[in-house]
Amino acid sequence: MHIRELETALDAIGDYAIITLGADGTVTSWNRGSETMRGFTAADAIGQPVSLFYTPEDRESGLAERELQAARDTGRFATEGWRVRKDGSRFWASVVLASVRGDDGTVTGFVKATRDVTEQKRAESLFQGLLESAPDAMVITSGDGRIELVNRQAELLFGYSREELAGREVEMLVPERFRSRHPAYRAGYVAAPRTRPMGADLELWGLRRDGTEFPVEISLSPLETPDQGLLVAAAIRDVTERRETELRLQHQRDEILELSTPVIQVWDKVLALPIIGTLDSVRAARLTEGLLTQIGEHQAEVIILDISGVPAIDTQVAQHLLRTVQAATLMGATSILCGVRPETAQAMVHLGIDMGQLRSRTTLRDALQLAMRMLRERAGAADAAAEAAASGRGPA
Amino acid sequence: VTEVIPILRIGDTLLVTLQGDLDDATVIAIEEQLTREVARTAAKGTLIDVSGLTVVDSFIARVIARVVAMIRLLGSEACVVGIQPAVAITLVELGVPMGHLDTALNAEQGMVLLRRLRRDSTRYHGAAGD
Repeated sequence: MHIRELETALDAIGDYAIITLGADGTVTSWNRGSETMRGFTAADAIGQPVSLFYTPEDRESGLAERELQAARDTGRFATEGWRVRKDGSRFWASVVLASVRGDDGTVTGFVKATRDVTEQKRAESLFQGLLESAPDAMVITSGDGRIELVNRQAELLFGYSREELAGREVEMLVPERFRSRHPAYRAGYVAAPRTRPMGADLELWGLRRDGTEFPVEISLSPLETPDQGLLVAAAIRDVTERRETELRLQHQRDEILELSTPVIQVWDKVLALPIIGTLDSVRAARLTEGLLTQIGEHQAEVIILDISGVPAIDTQVAQHLLRTVQAATLMGATSILCGVRPETAQAMVHLGIDMGQLRSRTTLRDALQLAMRMLRERAGAADAAAEAAASGRGPA
Repeated sequence: VTEVIPILRIGDTLLVTLQGDLDDATVIAIEEQLTREVARTAAKGTLIDVSGLTVVDSFIARVIARVVAMIRLLGSEACVVGIQPAVAITLVELGVPMGHLDTALNAEQGMVLLRRLRRDSTRYHGAAGD
């Protein structure tokens, strides 16, 4: 190719500012791309030192000269930095500087290709800013599971610096016991990438640098990039506190349940069971269990079920009560119901609930009286039978 | 006929204890042995102690109900004692009809219950005779 053609070709490249410099760093040629990018015409630029296009700070620190020296030493030098247009505005430049050598090996000049990458730079810093400002730890991996990027929160959460994480397999953050299964899950995600939580319904754990584990919640999103293919962004949240709160809540619920179904021994062989609040199946099961255990422990013969604290009796609640009574009867204890309100009585009859042989009394006091009389009668019957047996004349 | 379970006699009352695995053959043997013993001794009542049974399925529940029915047909009273809490819950959950069974917490209260049952039946027969 002739030199002239080459120069025409260079001139035609609009996206790049391509200039040549003399050995001393003064501009010797200036293509059209340079004009549009920097605002200087060829007439303005040729013969000027290259430092003219640098920021005043860089000019002062001698950056242009250092870059030329680097190109002189290595033959080729690439860098990025702020450059200045003729009107004083700045742009972020991606620069490749190559030295040109004569036949004797001395540097006779330089070729400098510059690209305006301000837009990419802006997008990149926006992304960085978003990444760093996210409240969750973010770990971005390549499709094959290598860590590409992490944010500050991820560093704090896992105890590694970003330099230690970059390029490593993401499995280093997964506890040993899940590690072998993880790559398969990862491959599954890459095959069908969409924004979703990781491992729905599974308990997920993270592994810190110091070997400790912590419960996490992870949300995954695919990031399609033009140069690196599919990336996967994982937002990781430490849920230790929430897990603990949940456990504490569960514990409290159990305690309340325990407190809400008390069994009171009101007399020898008599237990009272004040039922307060709505009777659901969990509470009913707990209540029956507690009552039967107490019957065994106290050898109780009569139990009093006080339902004055139950707001409403429906078929379900009545079924629960009946089962409790039946189970107690099987163990040999007689049940007395008390505290039935008029509307409860109406509801139970209208619902067709058959309470069988269950005796009922208005107040706890009346129920207790009945219980005592039943016990007395039994004892009396026992005494009479014993006497009859002793006299040798049992009932005929 | 082989004796599969020990049957204790206390006065005019028999005491049998059911425990361990009960298969069909054992159940038939127990029914034979128990009915024969009630008839032979003319016992007024029988206590069936099931406190040794920690698991009761509907089969065993029906066996118990059957034995009680046989004893009643022989003109004697029967009472089941010592049903464990877990067993009571299971029986209610299974819906096994055992409402007609007379039950007591332990053998002592079972004896009292048997006497009462006998007294009540005496009263009834007396009234019928009048």
